[in-house]
Amino acid sequence: MSLWVDKYRPTSLGKLDYHQEQASQLKNLVQCGDFPHLLVYGPSGAGKKTRIMCLLRELYGAGVEKLRIEHQTIVAPSKKKIEINTIASNYHLEVNPSDAGYQDRVVIQELIKTMAQSQQIQASTQREFKVVLLTEVDRLTKDAQHALRRTMEKYMATCRLVLCSTSTSKVIGPIRSRCLAVRVPLPSTEEVCNVLTSVCKKEGLLLPPELAKRISDKSGRNLRKALLMCEACRVQQYPFSADQDVTEPDWEVFLRETANYIVSQQTPQRLLEVRGRLYELLTHCIPADIIMKGLVRELLNNCDGHLKPEVAHMAAYYEHRLQLGNKAIYHLEAFTAKFMAVYKKFMEDGLDGMMF
Amino acid sequence: MDEYDEMFEIEDNFEEQFADELDALAQLENESSKPTKRQRRNSNNDASYIDYQQVSDQQITPTAKRHKQDTGVVKRLFNSVQCDDITPPSSPEYYEPSHTVRSSSAPALNISGFETIPESPRRPAAVAMQSHALRRPPLEGDYVTVTDSSGCRVYLRQKDTEAEEVKNCRMVPNPQGSLGLLAVPIDVLRDQEAERRHQQLVEQTQHLRELLASSVNDVLVEPEIREEEEKEEEGDLGDSEGQSYRLWVDRFSPRHYTELLSDDFTNRCLLKWLKLWDTVVFGKEKVSRPARPDRQARVQTSFKPNQANQNQANQNPNRFKSKMEMTEEILEAELDMYKRPKFKVALLSGPPGLGKTTLAHVIAKHAGYNVVEINGSDDRSAEVFQKRIDTATQMKSVLGAGERPNCLIIDEIDGAPAAAINILLTTLNRKDGHSGEAAAESAKKKKKKESILLRPIICICNDLYVPALRPLRQQAFLLTFPQTQPSRLAQRLAEISLRHGMKADTGTLMLLCEKTDNDIRSCINTLQFLFGRGHKQLNTRIIQCMSVGQKDQNKGLFHLWQEIFQLPRTKRKRVGERFEEVPGSGGSNPRFQHILDLASSSGEYEKVSQGLYDNYLSMRVRDPNLQSVCDALDWMVFSDQLNQVIMHGQNFTLMKYLPFLSVAYHFLFAHPHVPRISYPHSHLEATTHLQSCRNAVSTMLSDIPASIRTRISNLNLTLDILTLLLDIICPKLRPVNPQLFSRREKEQMCELIDTMLAYNLSYRQDRTPEGQYTYLLEPRVEEVVRFSGLPPRRQLTYQAKQTISREMEQEKMRRAEQLLSQRNPAVKEAAKTSAATKPSRNHHQRLENIVKQTTVEPRQAVDFFGRPVAPKQTTAASSSDTGQKCAVLAMGKAVGNSDVWFRFNEGMSNAVRRNVYIRELL
Repeated sequence: MSLWVDKYRPTSLGKLDYHQEQASQLKNLVQCGDFPHLLVYGPSGAGKKTRIMCLLRELYGAGVEKLRIEHQTIVAPSKKKIEINTIASNYHLEVNPSDAGYQDRVVIQELIKTMAQSQQIQASTQREFKVVLLTEVDRLTKDAQHALRRTMEKYMATCRLVLCSTSTSKVIGPIRSRCLAVRVPLPSTEEVCNVLTSVCKKEGLLLPPELAKRISDKSGRNLRKALLMCEACRVQQYPFSADQDVTEPDWEVFLRETANYIVSQQTPQRLLEVRGRLYELLTHCIPADIIMKGLVRELLNNCDGHLKPEVAHMAAYYEHRLQLGNKAIYHLEAFTAKFMAVYKKFMEDGLDGMMF
Repeated sequence: MDEYDEMFEIEDNFEEQFADELDALAQLENESSKPTKRQRRNSNNDASYIDYQQVSDQQITPTAKRHKQDTGVVKRLFNSVQCDDITPPSSPEYYEPSHTVRSSSAPALNISGFETIPESPRRPAAVAMQSHALRRPPLEGDYVTVTDSSGCRVYLRQKDTEAEEVKNCRMVPNPQGSLGLLAVPIDVLRDQEAERRHQQLVEQTQHLRELLASSVNDVLVEPEIREEEEKEEEGDLGDSEGQSYRLWVDRFSPRHYTELLSDDFTNRCLLKWLKLWDTVVFGKEKVSRPARPDRQARVQTSFKPNQANQNQANQNPNRFKSKMEMTEEILEAELDMYKRPKFKVALLSGPPGLGKTTLAHVIAKHAGYNVVEINGSDDRSAEVFQKRIDTATQMKSVLGAGERPNCLIIDEIDGAPAAAINILLTTLNRKDGHSGEAAAESAKKKKKKESILLRPIICICNDLYVPALRPLRQQAFLLTFPQTQPSRLAQRLAEISLRHGMKADTGTLMLLCEKTDNDIRSCINTLQFLFGRGHKQLNTRIIQCMSVGQKDQNKGLFHLWQEIFQLPRTKRKRVGERFEEVPGSGGSNPRFQHILDLASSSGEYEKVSQGLYDNYLSMRVRDPNLQSVCDALDWMVFSDQLNQVIMHGQNFTLMKYLPFLSVAYHFLFAHPHVPRISYPHSHLEATTHLQSCRNAVSTMLSDIPASIRTRISNLNLTLDILTLLLDIICPKLRPVNPQLFSRREKEQMCELIDTMLAYNLSYRQDRTPEGQYTYLLEPRVEEVVRFSGLPPRRQLTYQAKQTISREMEQEKMRRAEQLLSQRNPAVKEAAKTSAATKPSRNHHQRLENIVKQTTVEPRQAVDFFGRPVAPKQTTAASSSDTGQKCAVLAMGKAVGNSDVWFRFNEGMSNAVRRNVYIRELL
């Protein structure tokens, strides 16, 4: 519990640093007794999980924080054994079904069934339902989501689901309609700065506001990242200076360099080099859609305004293909090649225009 | 044609005259000395001789009447000789005259296996011709080696040396007195003359070779057809329906060496190898005789086949010098101590339908063996294999068939299990203690068990690189079959179709050959099929539309990739053409169809597309707008999607669209140059690396405590946390003892250790290959987040890591203890009390303190073994510390006056200690 991120994480709805209004709404939700299924969504680092844990604490009290890790083995109908780790307290069960890959349907059905079939012992003093917390719902297969749909209704009496995802676009409609959707937006820059400053104050450090601002910019308002960056800065150099280096994750730097590679030259040879770099990103466990997103962002920064709509369109096209396909590298390279072609044509046209 | 007949008659006369001698010849197949002999003895054959001379050296002016009109014929014959008869050691051409006696009585000749096409009138001329210009050095007599501009080496016999000429004159009633003139030994003249003759020869050769290459060689076809016709007539008379059930492949399979369609060089190598066995199999000579240089071995006295054999064995290697070095060396190798060739087994390999089995059978028969065939994939069990090998190599048929020795042919050996191959190998490597002569005898004696292998074995396989064959490969004489020449195959097909009254032009037949990849068997079967369907007139369309006859074989992946990336040479114009105008089944766009066929027959779409993906960017295609690259990648994306659908939904009907990817790549990237294709590794490497990264992350995650685990997921760990975490756990530490840290530093250290423990990170000492020790972060998440080519992050020093590691260990122990005490407080209490009573500190366990305690105790001091010890004063060691001094004193009392004392360390050796002072050493 020594990283600042962990140490200073608020544990109750009342202590949340930002989105207080939402927090009070959640509090009301808990108090009114009729707790619905929840779908909490929002970008990474906005505080979804923190809010969910606060909510659970609000529901069940401090007992929710006594967590244990359980290794469960589930036998699929095909007799294949699936091993999955769950984190559980007496009141809730947290599971990331996408760990099971394409067998996630079985996992969801089995786990929710066992969870829901055991009643709470003292229903009078406690809630009459347990909570199943499913994370990374957007990575669930369609099969699993459809399985979820029925399960949600069937076990409504004893079990509530809290779904956590970064976007709702990959959650099928029936599930969205069965849940109360709670969006957790990213904190604003000021909010990030406030959190950083207060954390530093608690640590007995003095954070210059300029640095706080820069950190929040660099982190893209991802509060987790911002706090980690801040701590890394602290380790790097204590009496903070306003213009000190803020370390970024390597992969972001690497991705930016890759984008520069693409812009600087458009030949098959360069494409080959870019392929090597894309492979490297992929092998470092960076998901393909994040690579795509980062690439597009960097490329858009580098290209002319006239090209931007086209590039965005291309990106959307290939991103979609990427989701449908299997081997990410093909799609990433296809996008790169397409961009190269378009960019090169644009540059050559520009040159011709200048000559006449 | 009349000159043919004339010559043929002449030939026949000759055969009749010398029948008995030639029979002897036939047995031992010795041809080496023949040409000269024939000249000497043979007056009838002179006609052909004259012909030859008329062509080759014109200053010897023969007076034969018909030489003028003969010239053309001889030229043609000469051509055939030059082109496809680079005569093997005992190729039938050589001793062919000797057998025409038999060949005139047709039935006998088939069994003998020695006969050639008897009617072919070109043979005599060929023989005579070869007496002058040879492809190999002549066996006797001087010769001049001449290499022409095309690299062909020809050996010109200097047969007009004095001695020989004189001999000739003396022995033969020579009609040409002019020969005597040449006996004048003017070296210069002779050289010039030889040179001129050679040039003439070469010119003619080249001219005629071109003629042959254009496959308008009627000379070759005709006699064979005639022969076939003769044979067929017998069959046709007997039963006309007999044709319908006999496969043409069998009916027209070659029966003689000359009919073989396979590559000449291969044929000859195999035959030559087989001939190396002659010494031991047919050996009647004294093997102890040293091999003499062949020039001295003039075969004048008596006809000695063995000696000739030897000559041949010695000389053979020279004949292939211009060909393959390797094969030459193998064949050149000395016979071993049992007079066997170095390689006991010949291993023929090549794709199906090239005539490997046929070759082996024909050659074995030809060399005078009785063929015993084992099928490697039939007789699979080791025992059967052993039995059959032994039977074949050590026994001999007594009844019929002229008691010929066996030659074992193991067909399809690549299907045999490894055990069977091992048996074969042990058979090969058997040794026995006999000397060479005894070995030759033992062949007849048939020793029971341990007799060595004395018969040749020919193995045949399709795939040379089957794992089971690996040991055999090293011990075998390897012969790889090249493709059959389409022209020869087409020619043979033409004969066959002609025999059956089918009309087919050369182009059509060539197309058929191309379609079947020059597979002889497939070609002939297809032809028969078409014949059976009633096609009397073959044309290109029929062949193209036909779905049978196409070879459905698996070419290697590399071959496929190469075909995709390389334009076919003849159709270079059509580069720009796109394939939108998809052809009908008739193949209006053969390239499209060809690649599609290849790709769909390969079946490994995943691998194929991976190979295309890895290689297409390195192709030399002009693509300034990157348009074709984009197209290619769109195709790749499409096929990936397709794959996903197929795999995910088990929708295998869609698989038929997968091979089109290859076609698309072919049209986008095909190039006339030979592409350099590398095997696609990238995907595999990426997968492996990805897996190792994932493993590292999941190892890390698995032991993170639940309270933290719930906050981090796999994804945000890799994206956000890990890099920064690695920075955070590298604080700046003063390189001093942690005891000397300031309070602030201690806190920092404490936090650091806390973090590392919370995130399941630790340092592990490791030794680099250079012998240095380093601390590595465990699990190895550094690999996951660090990218090559970026500026390196700050690293802790070795000492810092060591300190951290040590502190971590302590903290871990502390925590474990805490945990334990929390769980059961009773144990903790007990431990506390026991700790209180017992001195736990290390230095308290030293002897002085023990002694101190014992002295303090009221009871009597006992030594280690529990015996009472009388207190006695010893000389105290001088010590700076007073406290220590008294301890020493106390010890002295306790232990006694001996300064040797023992101490028992549990679990260790009970060492003997003695206090040694510096002053004693000085």
